[in-house]
Amino acid sequence: MQEPKIKFNNVTKIFKTNRQTITAVKDVSFNIDEGDFVSLIGPSGCGKSTVIRLLDDIIKPTQGDIYIDGEAIPKRKKISPEQIKKMGFIFQQPNLLPWMTVRQNVSLPLKVFGLKGKKWDDNVDRLIEMVGMTEYENAYPTEISGGMVQRVGVIRAMVHDPEILLMDEPFGALDEMTREQLNIELLDIWRKTKKTIIFITHNVEEAILLSSKSYVMGTNPGRIVAEVDIDLPRPRTLDMIITKKFIEYEEELTNLIGEIDLSKIK
Amino acid sequence: MTNKKPVKNKNKKRDPINWIAPIVMLVIIVVVLEVLVRVSGINRIVLPTPSAIFAFTSDAFLADLWFHFLYNFKVIFVGMLIAVTLGMLLAAICSQFNIVVKAITPVVILLVVTPMITLIPLMQLWLGSNPNIRILVVMISCTPIIMLNTLTGFTNIETSKLELARSMGASKLQIFAKVIFPNAMPQVFTGIKLGCIFSTIGSVTADFVYGMQGLGFKIQQYTKYVMTEQIYGSIILIAIIGFLLYKIVAMIEKKVVIWKI
Repeated sequence: MQEPKIKFNNVTKIFKTNRQTITAVKDVSFNIDEGDFVSLIGPSGCGKSTVIRLLDDIIKPTQGDIYIDGEAIPKRKKISPEQIKKMGFIFQQPNLLPWMTVRQNVSLPLKVFGLKGKKWDDNVDRLIEMVGMTEYENAYPTEISGGMVQRVGVIRAMVHDPEILLMDEPFGALDEMTREQLNIELLDIWRKTKKTIIFITHNVEEAILLSSKSYVMGTNPGRIVAEVDIDLPRPRTLDMIITKKFIEYEEELTNLIGEIDLSKIK
Repeated sequence: MTNKKPVKNKNKKRDPINWIAPIVMLVIIVVVLEVLVRVSGINRIVLPTPSAIFAFTSDAFLADLWFHFLYNFKVIFVGMLIAVTLGMLLAAICSQFNIVVKAITPVVILLVVTPMITLIPLMQLWLGSNPNIRILVVMISCTPIIMLNTLTGFTNIETSKLELARSMGASKLQIFAKVIFPNAMPQVFTGIKLGCIFSTIGSVTADFVYGMQGLGFKIQQYTKYVMTEQIYGSIILIAIIGFLLYKIVAMIEKKVVIWKI
């Protein structure tokens, strides 16, 4: 049995501020195999953003262990360069650096990781072309549209060829049409590159369309409530959304999330 | 793929109206003043006409006033250069430690609001009468405000940008050089522009106290001999220095802060 790509073992994260103590996530455990496309869904505050930030060493767990390719992430020290290079993080807020052009933004991880050479420069060209931004590669973030900003955010996270993509509601701020388009583009990228993807969304339809497995998370405290296998054929297409099976999954997941919400209203 | 070109129109052509309009405004103001002053019949000792101011001051400028003009310019320019470097350096060091930032910010604010020019007579007591002390005066006037704004720039950074840096495993130095420093630039330039204001005040006041050189000293002289036109002229010259300085800073800002139009 092959080692899971990503393993969370009883991970708990508690935030202490001056005013209160928040248990963001409690006893979260799951395994993700290589090449899986997994979604995390749940209401606000269920800890889904915390989970991927713990994985990407943006924050450290209070308890529990996280493993990438069988190797644990150090609990006190910063994550090792080898481990961090395996991951690419795509943020919810467009956070392109406004003083850099599109091309410079995409190349940023290469500069930070110290990856030089023609192979990597070609990577930048290829990715910019893949999302149709070649014409705008010298434009600044203030000069391009929201959909374009997110596209740049996606390819920036891929430029160093990470094996794992962590996506925190990347298309949430966009209009429906752009989002659907980007979803299909994402599936295409995943099909071609076979990366391991963890995708966070609060949009049930998006989760079912994209992922093979969905972890439903709940609040108070943040935890995994259910694990649902999405058994729909691939490649996925937009017209699947109206099929019976799809709608059944939508109902199932919505109910699961709804149960959590209702449980808060005593 | 959408067909529209979402790139903003980069045709920010140097519209001549940008510099023609203020000049026209200036001419109108001068003409109106000229007419009003002549018509009112006010004594030239109190308020001379713009044309008289121009005539007398030009003569004085060609005689010896240009020397004092350049002197002030030098003092202010050098003082500002040192202040900018020092202010940014101090801010960079202090911003590394959260506790230091908390401790030092009220002190810096205190330095900003206290008129540093009140220290000038004291400085004469401590350091003597070396005319180059004026550069020190300018420096002391400007460094706190530049430091304060730079510090704010370094510490006010969006979480999302810091998270981005961490997601790439960036070192502390990399985060500072690639994210924190560029992000602070707009705030830094605000501080420098404010410093421009304090610098001219500091320089002229130093002239008043130390005497012997500078436009401030000349104003005192002209007052003694009731050469009112030259007084106004000198004031305008000081304003021109401040204006030139501000314009230089603004030009540099345009090159550096390309993302804030």
